[in-house]
Amino acid sequence: MKNVYVDNNATTAIAPEVLAVMQPYLTSDYFNPSSMYDAARSSAEAIESARRTVARCLGDIDPDQIIFTGSATESNNAALFGTVQANPKRGHVITTTIEHPSVLEIGKELERRGQEVTFLSVDRNGELVLDDYVRALRSDTLVVSIMMANNETGVCYPVAELARIAKETDAEIVVHTDATQALGKLPVDLQDDLQHVDLLSFSGHKIHAPKGVGCLFVRRGTRWRPFMLGGHQEKGRRAGTENVPYIVGLAKACELAIAGVPDEQGRVRNLRDRLQKALIERIPAVEVNGKEAAVRLPNTLNLAFHGIEGEAILFELSRHGICASSGSACTSGTLDPSHVLKAMQVPFTAIHGSVRISLSRYNNQEDIERIIEVLPDIIARLRKLSPYWNDERNCLEI
Amino acid sequence: MPWNYSDKVLKLFMDAVKGETGTHMGELENPDGFGEHGSIVCGDTLRFTFRVERHPTDPTRDIITQARYLTFGCTSAIAASEALCILLEEQGKTPIEALQVSNQDLIDFLDGLPEQKIHCSVMGAEALQKAVADWASKRGVDLAELLPELAHGDEDEGRTVCNCFSVTEPYLRRKIKELGLQSIAEITNALKAGGGCTVCHHAPGGLQDLLDEIWGVKPVGQVEVAAPHTGEQLSPYRLGQQIETAIEAVVRPLLQDEDGDIELVDIKGHKIYCRLIGAANQSDAADQTFKLLVEQQLKDQVDDRLQVIAV
Repeated sequence: MKNVYVDNNATTAIAPEVLAVMQPYLTSDYFNPSSMYDAARSSAEAIESARRTVARCLGDIDPDQIIFTGSATESNNAALFGTVQANPKRGHVITTTIEHPSVLEIGKELERRGQEVTFLSVDRNGELVLDDYVRALRSDTLVVSIMMANNETGVCYPVAELARIAKETDAEIVVHTDATQALGKLPVDLQDDLQHVDLLSFSGHKIHAPKGVGCLFVRRGTRWRPFMLGGHQEKGRRAGTENVPYIVGLAKACELAIAGVPDEQGRVRNLRDRLQKALIERIPAVEVNGKEAAVRLPNTLNLAFHGIEGEAILFELSRHGICASSGSACTSGTLDPSHVLKAMQVPFTAIHGSVRISLSRYNNQEDIERIIEVLPDIIARLRKLSPYWNDERNCLEI
Repeated sequence: MPWNYSDKVLKLFMDAVKGETGTHMGELENPDGFGEHGSIVCGDTLRFTFRVERHPTDPTRDIITQARYLTFGCTSAIAASEALCILLEEQGKTPIEALQVSNQDLIDFLDGLPEQKIHCSVMGAEALQKAVADWASKRGVDLAELLPELAHGDEDEGRTVCNCFSVTEPYLRRKIKELGLQSIAEITNALKAGGGCTVCHHAPGGLQDLLDEIWGVKPVGQVEVAAPHTGEQLSPYRLGQQIETAIEAVVRPLLQDEDGDIELVDIKGHKIYCRLIGAANQSDAADQTFKLLVEQQLKDQVDDRLQVIAV
């Protein structure tokens, strides 16, 4: 049985085109790009060419502003710690309660180090309240870090507008955004609507490049200090021998991602919508988290089933060859359900029963039909086992 | 992280989900013993019922013949529930003997549980104890007299230590001793307490304090308390008043003439955040004109340094 992989917000399959361009740098062109001999020239040139490609993909910006890193997590660390270091006179950070841990945990760490951090909350749709954001801006606000799209629910945030308001308030406020989930699904243009964003992070493995490579955009003139020290690579802004094959792969993946936005917004969205509709029709007592948000990623479907537990659902899906994920406590390192769903105030009877289905360009109608065929039965069977489900009346009973 | 369950756990879970014959999913009607542990808020619940073959004269010699469960929980919680029922039905124990079934017996029966899933087996043992207590009260058996060490019942009520999972101090004290829990991590794995916000770990009267008290370790040090934040600058009251007056007297009537309106969101220094309504559905250029119009009016009326930010 072929696996149906619908966990693309966790990681993605490497695109064959990406693997192909990486191949020479894994075999014959293995040189250190910093070396002086002729043989190393192609490695050094490959990195600069990759930088130009990525810069073109992000709105035809000056390539000098692109720094290659090891992951989006590293990019987020570099962005935030680097900004705090460069601006010692300011002591206030604004972020949200629904950030990825690689921003959220940094926020908590900055708090421990003496910064004051405002964690903006979200409403039942998973959206920020704009007025709360405006009121949070202060004369000593140093950095605003708000993600473009949430990895769990796919809810998108108006980063362009938030950045403009920050800059109109105070041009020295540094604006960072984690674009990891947005790239390839939404337009990302740093010269156009995102012109007020100073720092932007993303990773390769969410856009069909391998794990272990990321990128940080640092707008020229941003007050920011390098985070990774110990070498002249990336003009001293990220020390460490460049991961040539992965950087080359990341650039190719970026090109494919930008070209793939119409497919995501069209075909993939239709698949997701079809899946959402069919599951709601077949399964009672289910929440679609983020459904009412103004903008939601076209590939993401976050469901919360009342009265059952998410890990058991995933386990059953896995037995049917379907790879999805959950915000349930039992699938994370902690015993708490997802911080994102908690922040959205998903009802307590459903918050433990969440399942995230995230599609990619490699999913098709057949995959969707498989899920529609299998999932309603899994839910019904688990509900039979649940003390909170009245099987005769087919409803939740507490 | 991938599942690292034993084959036994997987088999019990799958059989239960498929409803294979011989599995124990369900709830007995008019059971001789009923016990429930956990809650939907905490993420797992076991509702356990059993039936006995009644001894004609001596209720303490009743024999458990049938056990059933309904479980809201993960793979291992469902498997542990199955294990509990199998153990009881197989062994033909009296309810009082059944109390000897510990969470460790369930773990052994399951060929082990991952550490962070130990609480699934504790849940089984707790639900069983409650069901036996229920049986005892129905059959007029005085458990407290027979087994004084088990007479806790209502004593588990008390101060809540872990708010995330509603775990009380008396319950924690009892289980820490019963299961020999030595660290916060062990408490979390077995009882879930402290697995959420983690505030109770080192709070006064929290998990570490309880451990120290029970196992006789001296507190290592005080948790530092963050210094209170000193207030930021006040917004100029008078300026705010004048801006509001100007908006009411001049700006709003002007915008309303154009089928628009204005909503003041905030004022910080000389920056005025407002929502311009009615300018929507128009081009960006029209939005910009609207904003400039409002800004110019406020500059004229109040202060030349004022700046309008549209939100």
